[in-house]
Amino acid sequence: MDSQKVDMYLMTNAKYFQGQHLNYIRERLSLIDDSKWGMIQTVELKDPTTILIVSILAGGFGIDRFLIGDTGLGVAKLLTCGGLGIWSIIDWFLISDLTRQKNMEKLQIFL
Amino acid sequence: MTRNRLYIFLFLALLAGYSYVLWESYMRIFNHPFTPCLFKNITGIACPSCGVTRSVLMLAHGSVTQALLMNPLGIIVAAIMAAAPFWLLYDVLLKRDTLYTAYLKTEKILTIKWVAITLTLLVLLNWAWNIHKGL
Repeated sequence: MDSQKVDMYLMTNAKYFQGQHLNYIRERLSLIDDSKWGMIQTVELKDPTTILIVSILAGGFGIDRFLIGDTGLGVAKLLTCGGLGIWSIIDWFLISDLTRQKNMEKLQIFL
Repeated sequence: MTRNRLYIFLFLALLAGYSYVLWESYMRIFNHPFTPCLFKNITGIACPSCGVTRSVLMLAHGSVTQALLMNPLGIIVAAIMAAAPFWLLYDVLLKRDTLYTAYLKTEKILTIKWVAITLTLLVLLNWAWNIHKGL
């Protein structure tokens, strides 16, 4: 893929990934075939800020975990009232980084 | 989530759960009104899983109907708390991953659309009941 497209992708989507992964994404994107461009653009990425807001408002019910795809942990969080309130507080600080990790996992399939 | 991470997490969660239930049953003797629930402390109304601890304690004392009436989710939590230690021990001792594959399979089933919608509706109904009971 030409570097212009890669730069455009990274510019619009940099906030969805962890900083240390950006270089790797750039490298892989420039190597792959142009036909995959459409697929890569349609990968559904979750916004870490949105998830953080959801976590603060409804973290006690595990909604944040459900949204990023951790269904099992979401159920655990829901059943224990947000891990007795402690887990939901911990997740306020972890969830945005976890969202970026999950986004990377989603993109990884196509890289 | 890898196998080992899930097992460590489950172990710590079980430890915390059992110690909390024990502590709670001890505090119950003094009629100490305590709730760790953030939602209930802030808004004053019950959350979907309020009453689970009481339900588990009632079940431990053998009164199934009372536990069901308190909060039906307590039965699920009690079942997980009772079964998970043995399953975990079996997997760790024999170096297998039956629990991990079961966990992944349940996750997949839970993400099926109609299953998710039914369960969400049930939890919401239970929540309404919780508020009605004034837990």
